[in-house]
Amino acid sequence: MPLLRLIFHRLLQEVFVLLIVSALTFVLLAAAGGDALATLGDDPRLSEEMINVLRGMFGLDQPLHVRFLRWLSEILRGRMGYSFFYQAPVGSIVWPRLLNTLALAVSSLFIAWSFALPFGALAARHAGALTDRLCGIVILIAASTPRIVLALGALAVTARYSLFSAGVALSALPAYQRAAGIIQPALVLSVPLIGLFLAHTRDALRSALREEFVRAARAKGLPESVVIRRHALRAALNPLITIFGLSLGGVMSSSVIVETVLGWPGLGQLCVVAVRARDVPLLMGVVLVTATAVLVGNLMADILLRLNDPRLRLDEANQPRQ
Amino acid sequence: MVMLETPQLEACSLPDAEDVIVKRSRLRWHRHWRFVRRRGKFIAGLCIICLFYFTAIFADFLAPYDYRTQSRREPLAPSTAVRFRDAGGNIHPRPFIYERRVVNAFERRYVESTERVFPICFFARGYSYRLFGLFKTDVHLFGVSGVGRIDVPRVNLLGTDASGRDRLSRLIVSTRFSLIVGPAGMLLASALGIFLGCISGYVGRRTDALLMRAADTMIALPMLVLILAARAAFPLALPPARAVLLLVTIFTVVGWAEMSRLARGQVLALRQREFVLAAVGLGLSPARILFRHILPNASRPLVVQASLMLPTFLLAETALSFLGVGLQEPEASWGNMLAAAGDINLLRESGFVLLTPAIALLLFVLGARLLSDGSN
Repeated sequence: MPLLRLIFHRLLQEVFVLLIVSALTFVLLAAAGGDALATLGDDPRLSEEMINVLRGMFGLDQPLHVRFLRWLSEILRGRMGYSFFYQAPVGSIVWPRLLNTLALAVSSLFIAWSFALPFGALAARHAGALTDRLCGIVILIAASTPRIVLALGALAVTARYSLFSAGVALSALPAYQRAAGIIQPALVLSVPLIGLFLAHTRDALRSALREEFVRAARAKGLPESVVIRRHALRAALNPLITIFGLSLGGVMSSSVIVETVLGWPGLGQLCVVAVRARDVPLLMGVVLVTATAVLVGNLMADILLRLNDPRLRLDEANQPRQ
Repeated sequence: MVMLETPQLEACSLPDAEDVIVKRSRLRWHRHWRFVRRRGKFIAGLCIICLFYFTAIFADFLAPYDYRTQSRREPLAPSTAVRFRDAGGNIHPRPFIYERRVVNAFERRYVESTERVFPICFFARGYSYRLFGLFKTDVHLFGVSGVGRIDVPRVNLLGTDASGRDRLSRLIVSTRFSLIVGPAGMLLASALGIFLGCISGYVGRRTDALLMRAADTMIALPMLVLILAARAAFPLALPPARAVLLLVTIFTVVGWAEMSRLARGQVLALRQREFVLAAVGLGLSPARILFRHILPNASRPLVVQASLMLPTFLLAETALSFLGVGLQEPEASWGNMLAAAGDINLLRESGFVLLTPAIALLLFVLGARLLSDGSN
């Protein structure tokens, strides 16, 4: 039950956070002046009256709080407004993009973990050995290579060797090739994560291996692989889950660059399009959906943390009610 | 004590003088080696960062041409070939270049005319600028001798971009913008973060809970998306000075959270220590206690954290310029130079030259990383 209460509390909190974030974004975008219709004023075929009629149609002539409340009520009804740039409802544009970005994020996280866990374990087991030092070098290089450099480097390699049918729009390709198109952005996105996860896996496992229950497990005569997998890794998982939760925001941030450079039609790319076109409803939708995705991911990490570690659950159960 | 130790000393045989010298020199070497191993990362990082700032300060001197000067006759030219041996087979003591003319601008084909030799010299005269903004001069590190005359070709070591501007000059000058915005954003965000963290840690209770919730949220939310959203509120094309101001402000508002968490932790850890309690007992004001007694003792982890944050801000600036919402043309930054590398056909032919800003970026981030790793 404390877990359910936690979820409930966090959900409430997150709705509140989303409200603040969207309100701030809304006010900021409105305060700057110059909505999507302002650029129409340059067109000599459109008169001032016509633009004002359009403003009235889209509700842009209302005061700020009215517009925000209207936007909010639309959100609650599951609609996110109308994109000026795409001439379509924001929802119909954002959802498929969200799926693409989620696919990208999940596959890059999967790649990073499946690399970091075994090698981190190896490095923690043989501290100071060759694997350990190699891991140190990999961590330094992977963590300090900016994604923009990686993405452009990957693009250069693709261009040189004509891999992944570079330069062709993904939508023009057959389905299996479109699916293969995820490999490259996922790899690029996962490299800095590998550095991050590898460093934390190594450190967490190394400190777990010094604990007494590990010595007890060894004294029982368990083989070293079982000691690591069953006992040490289980204890080391906590900081790793925390890091996983914290890395989600970074993944979303860097997917903006990676998607734009490598042409993966996700939320990041859409965000850039919305900013360039000054398409406020679209940008609001993108910010809202991205923030929601990250916060939900964080909540999941928190739940995982409590499922993994009974101590945390007990702590909360024993806490006096506030 | 002395009486007791003396017989022991006499008992052991004294080593040869020669042996001592060898051992001592080996020891000294060993000590140097240990110093380099322990401090090597720090020194390497410091060297890299200093090199970049040196480039930024002496950018006008190092750049052979004005980074804004366009040349319609040389769009997207490849790197100029610097030669020692001319077409006749004679070897010249001084490197030289040939004049080249565009044959087909669309295919980027150039031919060199070998009739005249243009030697390259150091400390050549070029466009005039003010060194440190004070001394008016027109001396540049290198250039083709006889600059200023129409018929003298330009030496473009990294080729030219689509408007025929010298790419090397742009790369050199671009370090300026990138090295101002990133670090300035980092410093201001750190200052705000430390300030809020101190308040949070010292005041506690409601304020603490509220501020730390806000910080947690800021850390969780995707930073670049927030920055982009904030950037969208302002006109896309801005003059460079206002772009710097705007980007630094946005970075400060978005990037304070991690630093404030750390500062709060440090304040909480230190505020129960005796010297702080003594200061409280003396009746000093909270501000004085925080800034004169607590902060100096917490400075080390805060400085390390600040240097860890530096690449993040630098990359955010690059990303914004790359996406076309940071510094605008004709000004140069690593980001907007990299934007040209998005063209896949160009990338196929001259990948290395297009990616030189990426290499600079990589080097700088590596340097900052080594610096923070080494100072741990």
